[in-house]
Amino acid sequence: MNWKNVLRLLSVDRKSSRLIRGIRFRRFRENKVVTYALYIGALVFGLLIGWLIANFYSGISDTAFKEDFLQGASSLFTTLPTLALLYGLVFSQMGQMQRIGAKVSIQPLYWFPITWAEHTLASILANLVGWPLIISIFICSSISVASVSLGLVPLAVFTMFALLASLFLASVTTEVLKILQVRISGALTKAAGRAAIWVRLLGSIVFFVIFYLIYFSLYYNVSIPSLVGSIAGGQKILWFIPYLWLGIALSAFASGLVIEIVIFSLASLVFIYLLFLAAVRLNVRFGLYEEPSIKISRGAYVPKAGLLGRLGFSFAEAAIMRKDFKAFTRRRELMYIFIMPIVFIIVPIFSAMRGTTGESVPSAFPSFLFVYITLLPGTFMTVALGSFIIGSEGGSVWYIYSSPISAKSLVKAKYFFAALFSFAITLICFFISVLLTSPSLQIIAIGLTEAILLTFSLGMVSLTFGIKGADFREFPRPRMIRPLWSFINGIVCLLLALAIISPIIPYGLKILFEAIQAPATISIPLPELYLYVALSLSGVIASVITYVFHKKAVKNAEEFLLKAEI
Amino acid sequence: MTYLSGVKLTSVSKRYGDITAVDYLDLDIKKGEIFGLLGPNGSGKSTTLKMILGLVKPDSGSVNVLGINVEDDPVAVKRKVGYVPESPRVYEFLTGLEFLDFTGDIYGMQLDEKKKRIEEFLKALDLEGREGDMISSYSEGMKQKVVIISAIMHRPELLLLDEPLSGLDPRSARIVKDLLHEMASQGVTTIMSTHILEIAQAMCDRIAIMYNGRISALGTMEELRQKARMPDSGLEDIFLKLTGTGDIKPVVEALMK
Repeated sequence: MNWKNVLRLLSVDRKSSRLIRGIRFRRFRENKVVTYALYIGALVFGLLIGWLIANFYSGISDTAFKEDFLQGASSLFTTLPTLALLYGLVFSQMGQMQRIGAKVSIQPLYWFPITWAEHTLASILANLVGWPLIISIFICSSISVASVSLGLVPLAVFTMFALLASLFLASVTTEVLKILQVRISGALTKAAGRAAIWVRLLGSIVFFVIFYLIYFSLYYNVSIPSLVGSIAGGQKILWFIPYLWLGIALSAFASGLVIEIVIFSLASLVFIYLLFLAAVRLNVRFGLYEEPSIKISRGAYVPKAGLLGRLGFSFAEAAIMRKDFKAFTRRRELMYIFIMPIVFIIVPIFSAMRGTTGESVPSAFPSFLFVYITLLPGTFMTVALGSFIIGSEGGSVWYIYSSPISAKSLVKAKYFFAALFSFAITLICFFISVLLTSPSLQIIAIGLTEAILLTFSLGMVSLTFGIKGADFREFPRPRMIRPLWSFINGIVCLLLALAIISPIIPYGLKILFEAIQAPATISIPLPELYLYVALSLSGVIASVITYVFHKKAVKNAEEFLLKAEI
Repeated sequence: MTYLSGVKLTSVSKRYGDITAVDYLDLDIKKGEIFGLLGPNGSGKSTTLKMILGLVKPDSGSVNVLGINVEDDPVAVKRKVGYVPESPRVYEFLTGLEFLDFTGDIYGMQLDEKKKRIEEFLKALDLEGREGDMISSYSEGMKQKVVIISAIMHRPELLLLDEPLSGLDPRSARIVKDLLHEMASQGVTTIMSTHILEIAQAMCDRIAIMYNGRISALGTMEELRQKARMPDSGLEDIFLKLTGTGDIKPVVEALMK
């Protein structure tokens, strides 16, 4: 193992994010202070927290509380490796998910004299750079300072080693899963033949859903003390799981059980080493992955005018819309947008399941759940699609630039794709929420009307900003919109969404007050006709917003096509 | 002698920060001419092609393509042009067939004409059997073929080709060369930028050698020979002399030490 090679590869991986962050590429100079500011900040913050804990402990006069505090700290130390493992797995998996669309810049350069072991180790360490490292620096610095006052220095030193080993273990696991995932999805794609596209799309959605289910079950409404308690209790029962051996060794250290310390520490190291060897072997076997050729069509070529043509779209507009639909169902890095509606449905259901255990559900809750599920997924989808859809062209944007497409046609095609696609999502979510909550006809009218208005108006708003802030850089992963414009778009969309739904807010409050049986003094008396007036008013506001932003979007598109400096 | 102007650049310049990519360039290219743009890396060839297509807005001067001022009506110009960029990126999530179908629709081709042209080109450039595969699995040469077909299939009046034959196998390269000659005889103007001097010498009616954003020499092969005072030389020697990069020997000797 050439350690210099490992460090160089690690450095390359870390630098791969430059292309995303960097604005000036000519005469590029990296500001190392900024690069390391987060690590230094975590260190300083950790030292400060450790000092505060030490001071707090020194100031406790009650002997019993002091003993309990010490016991609690010792218990927390022993659970840290397992907690670090969980955090490490989530963060490194999230890192992998973010890099789904990453390009060649972080792929192994097979013609260089680098061994697979070096590449694998660098990749494993690279997974840890960022939040896992920041969190570990924070924890290690705080427990190192606190342990002096607590009299737990040997346990703290062992904890730090175990914590770092756990993070490494999490990252090795992610590396193994990454290779297996690529291999399995490749094999599935190959085996699926013409259905490969749908297998890949559904496979990605299933992967994301499982990931988020695990994520939310770990983090949603879970308090750290209860998690620490369950880990401390669970470790001994589940001693046969190798991932918990580091925590068990630490518990044994806290209890002074020498034989257990030796056995579980050595067993952990052997397990980590074997897992690393497995990752290396898997990389040797599947590391140079060739994407399987996907054959979509075999039959004779029959060009068609298509449904979009009959709906009044020109050949060029319909072609762009069809192309965008294919992009969003075939490009891995765009598929994650599909997860948004699913997450929006999962979160409130989780919340409802956890938050209402043993309690009576407020009578207004189903109505708000209905509005939430009907309104938010489609709205977020239209905002995301509208702002990404121009930047998602990536390096192939030269084709749009060089094609005879007018600004109006471009806006029309991109807008209707984003809006119609989001509208379809809104309809699906609407049917799901009706099944889940059985709302009244009035609530259905409010939810569906507002969802449609938001979908169609915010799609245009987001497209306007998406054109202005389009980011075509694809290395190491597609960005699609510059962060500043994404932020501006988010704020403007939020304000305009409030403006659109503002006429209906009094009606919503009326339902809420009735549901919670508020005193008559704060009830809102509204005539029957108000609902229809409010919905019409919402429609007028949404139409005006759409019209104004359409004008602006066309202007932006004209500038975009004119300044096509690729 | 009178001729119809295909492309006319008048005092066109373009700067990127402190770099002058194109420096007050004047160029008049005849209709039906195959025109070669040569020059070392960074001499302004690709920027010139992009300005002709309206992809880059000149800082000064005007560009007139087939009688249309590019700034006045860029869409009308693009409709008449076929473009092959240097190292093109295509939609890799589409199949070759889907990409060409998309191209046909973008240029407003009729369904029958589109089908006929796509099938002819796929057959001619040996892409039959792979047209249903996603472009992500194509070799660089196959991707280049797809881009060339998309530039030619809609019967453009002007072709702007930036290194068009890179990556093509000999048979396909020959087909493209013959096709360009045939199209030129039918009045299609071609402006081609290339580093392969043999291709430029064999194909182009006139050649411009660009250096530091300016034209350092322009004319037929015979005129270039006269200008360089190298009556029996090939284009490579003329190019090296006119671009002031001819003193190769000491460089090679230094590298071999």
